Amino acid sequence: MATTNPMTDPTPALEQHAGSLLVVLPELPADRLRGLLTQLTTSLPAEHLLIAVPGEPAAEAFPGIRFVAFQAVLPSWTLTASEFMNAQQLAQRNGARGILLLGAEADSLTPMGVHSLLTAVDSGTADLVVPRYDLQPRAGLLNSSILYPLNRALFANRVRYPLSIDLGMSLRMGDRLSAVAQRFVSANQGNATIWAVSEASVAGLTISEADVGTRQIPQPADPDLNSILPQVTGSLFSDIEAKAAFWQRARVSAPARRLSPAALSSTTDAAAEVASLLQGFRLAYTNLQEIWGIVLPPNTMLGLKRLSLVDGPAFRMPENLWARIVFDFLIAYRLRTLNRGHLLGALIPLYLGWVASHVNAIAAGEIPERHVESHAAAFEAEKPYLLARWRWPDRFNP
Amino acid sequence: MFNILAMFLQTPATEPTLPLYTDNASIWHHMSDALHQSLYRVLSLLIAVLPGLLAFFVALAVFTVIGMILSAVMRRGLTLIKFDDRLVRYRGPGDWTPTNSPTAIVSRGSFWGCVLLGLIIGVSAFDASYATASTLPLSLLPYLTHAVGAIFLLIAGTIIARFLARSVLIGAVNAQLQYARFLSLGVKWLVLVLTAAMVLDHLEIGGVVVELAFGILFGGIVLTLSLAVGLGSRDLVSRSLESHVERSSERNVDAPPPSNGPGESLRHF
Repeated sequence: MATTNPMTDPTPALEQHAGSLLVVLPELPADRLRGLLTQLTTSLPAEHLLIAVPGEPAAEAFPGIRFVAFQAVLPSWTLTASEFMNAQQLAQRNGARGILLLGAEADSLTPMGVHSLLTAVDSGTADLVVPRYDLQPRAGLLNSSILYPLNRALFANRVRYPLSIDLGMSLRMGDRLSAVAQRFVSANQGNATIWAVSEASVAGLTISEADVGTRQIPQPADPDLNSILPQVTGSLFSDIEAKAAFWQRARVSAPARRLSPAALSSTTDAAAEVASLLQGFRLAYTNLQEIWGIVLPPNTMLGLKRLSLVDGPAFRMPENLWARIVFDFLIAYRLRTLNRGHLLGALIPLYLGWVASHVNAIAAGEIPERHVESHAAAFEAEKPYLLARWRWPDRFNP
Repeated sequence: MFNILAMFLQTPATEPTLPLYTDNASIWHHMSDALHQSLYRVLSLLIAVLPGLLAFFVALAVFTVIGMILSAVMRRGLTLIKFDDRLVRYRGPGDWTPTNSPTAIVSRGSFWGCVLLGLIIGVSAFDASYATASTLPLSLLPYLTHAVGAIFLLIAGTIIARFLARSVLIGAVNAQLQYARFLSLGVKWLVLVLTAAMVLDHLEIGGVVVELAFGILFGGIVLTLSLAVGLGSRDLVSRSLESHVERSSERNVDAPPPSNGPGESLRHF
């Protein structure tokens, strides 16, 4: 006679989910979540996935998919320290073999992009998988002007978007990032930015990029550039300062990627945009000379003076000038030449000058990615200048 | 009267008259006595307070040397244990970003703390010797503490004025206000005038006159700023605000990006 076993299955969740790929999703409406889950399950079988969602998962609405809940953190436009910690804890608790963190508006990823990310993480060939987005020429300007060139020159990798929005990582990468995140969370800074690419470089872990196509890049809640730029650059400068022992050793960067042709932008509104940006640049040059003069050496100030006299489409910030400006601000950040809030606030008009130069370059028909790459190459070429000033800091301009 | 008259008439008097120089000698004698006594009192006071004065300088010098040694030891010790790096690592990059490194702040703080302690001990010793030497129940200590407080007020006010001026300047420039430098100067002088009034009030100099002058000056500066910004540059302000709104909509990173083609806005992230 057949009998049913009254005992419940004692197999713990660890064993049930062991070997799965943990995919941590942001909070999404049900219909958008469904679309994203469909893309995920198309790329990998559902039994190989463990989906982590904030709050209680509506598992009955998505049969066949295994869910695990986690406590929602404050939404942010980038991946934060709290999210890294939560992801690693979930992975350890459930015995996952890899982690894929998808940031806000992840449902805007194309199916190809989702597939590319998933398979890159699933293959386990790299400890850190960073997506490479196809952005418009006028998008991601802060990344193109400061984040990417600095990361390339100092950490010798050509990750195009070092600011984490989506990330794939191995368990040991997750361990390292979780340890870094722990320090921020302990200091009650759960929303701090973690620079995963530099952490991987310093740890000697492998990094790969996955082409994911277009994506809706989430924007900060506070859209004011005057507060976001200092926050992002300040975080990056602090990270660079903490890793000075690593990047001062000579490195060889990865070979260049083939540039893809980009869509040309309209030239009709470029003149008005550039005029507005240059107005701000000249106003800053008139009023902030005293502050810039504390940070920048005389030859850089001379270069800025010449630029302030140029108008319209002829305005082009030389690559080496921009590289030295960023390096000088980095050194001033380290030396605390000025209050750091004032220092990063004084960088904003110079950044907008670079933006004007970039818009002019695009309007003139130059491939935007080539313009960005030439600036990044200038950062690499000017690295000895940074090393010299870093090692022998002088508290007055040469 | 009759004696004087008789003296002038050279009539024999019943008593012999005293010579004139004897009265003058007595006056000079009294005067020199008075001078000698006052000189003696002052010199005695000075001699009495000299040990206190010497104690003041010795205390200040000793504690300055102690402060220098302590500062050097703390700087070396904190550098050895990588105090700055540990602080950033364990506390993360915080909102407070001082101009100097934490190690420099701690070592300088310890030095100036020792100097201040030496100053207090020295002043106390000087005050004690002055009080015992002087016949008047007066003490220098309260006035000296007021003076020290006034100096601290002045230093703090100057630092705050410079910081606020620079903050306003950078903020106004980034907001693309044409009168950024004017605003910055106005803020700086407002804080400096306030500081000066507080210092004079602390030193109990001027009294009501200072308070009145401060009120008039402060109100005048505020009124001038208001008139200049509100009325005198009305067109400029409206143009600045209009261009600020336009730039906010361009620079607004929430603006939806068109996929391709003309009219796409700048997106910084």
